[in-house]
Amino acid sequence: MAAHDTDTELMLRVKRGDRAAFRELVERYQQPVINTIYRAIGDAWEAEDLAQRVFLQVYQAARRYRPTAKFSTWLFTIVHHTILNERRRRARHPAESLEALAEPLGGEEGEGWQLADAGAPDPARAAAAHELQGKIHAAIQELPDAQRTAVVLCRYEGQSYEEIARVLGCSVSAVKSLLHRARQTLKERLRGHY
Amino acid sequence: MKHCHQIQQQFDERLDGRLDAPAAAAFDAHLAGCASCRAAWAEYAGAWRLLQQLPAYEPSAGFVERTLRQLDAPAAAPQPAWWSAWRWGALTTAAAAVLLAVWAGWMRWAAHQQAMLYAEIRQADFLEDFDVIASLDELQNGEANL
Repeated sequence: MAAHDTDTELMLRVKRGDRAAFRELVERYQQPVINTIYRAIGDAWEAEDLAQRVFLQVYQAARRYRPTAKFSTWLFTIVHHTILNERRRRARHPAESLEALAEPLGGEEGEGWQLADAGAPDPARAAAAHELQGKIHAAIQELPDAQRTAVVLCRYEGQSYEEIARVLGCSVSAVKSLLHRARQTLKERLRGHY
Repeated sequence: MKHCHQIQQQFDERLDGRLDAPAAAAFDAHLAGCASCRAAWAEYAGAWRLLQQLPAYEPSAGFVERTLRQLDAPAAAPQPAWWSAWRWGALTTAAAAVLLAVWAGWMRWAAHQQAMLYAEIRQADFLEDFDVIASLDELQNGEANL
């Protein structure tokens, strides 16, 4: 497998049944997919489970895959719809959502989840940082679906307005409007912390 | 020279790096000289930058392997075709049952109405042969002859 294989080249190989190519795609996108889902639903363990489903959908849809857009755009469209379905499911079963909220942010250390920037030596500072992260997380989750997806893809995945527009199925100006409204909301929700 | 309103309308483009070099320079120059816009920008950009405080999480060990193992398992996420067929069958059966219940209820009501009508006819003194009466017309004719 050539290191420089593009996502599209890998996906075309997956279309021909190449599992090694599929493994490469999963390795490349596992973190952004899991993180995008986690930031939307707030449940770290469920995020991995849903991410697996996303990749399975990618594999099952491989035969119909056509490289008309960037692979990442297609992938994150599946992610976006997976998140929407999960949030609708949680709205119908709120007890499960409450259980998720009771989990510590990011799960327990030593159970496979590692903070990318762990190790604040001062417990008080660590607690304050943890509380702030909880507020940021809640502020993002409370955004309307389209605004939240636009924020996560823009802020954390560095996607352009054009890419986000394709994922959401809207215009570039609509993406700009979504981001503007989301930023106004976040500004109010996080006032006092910046 | 841009007005404050025009500058503040560019906040999103500036945050997302979509202003070209001259526009970005003009934006920054305005902020350097305008305390009001500077304060508004600090709020707008500050909240956005705060989002970076959310840590990124490393997937758990073995995530890739677990995902690949799922390829050989029965498909879990998409519902199988038989589920859709079963669900539609159940809905169709339920709809048919409702229609049947409504029809049966209507038939009972109609039969009851007919029974009540025959009971009235039986009570009519001028009738000698109830079984001859086939319609209300004959009954009315009988009343007219009274």
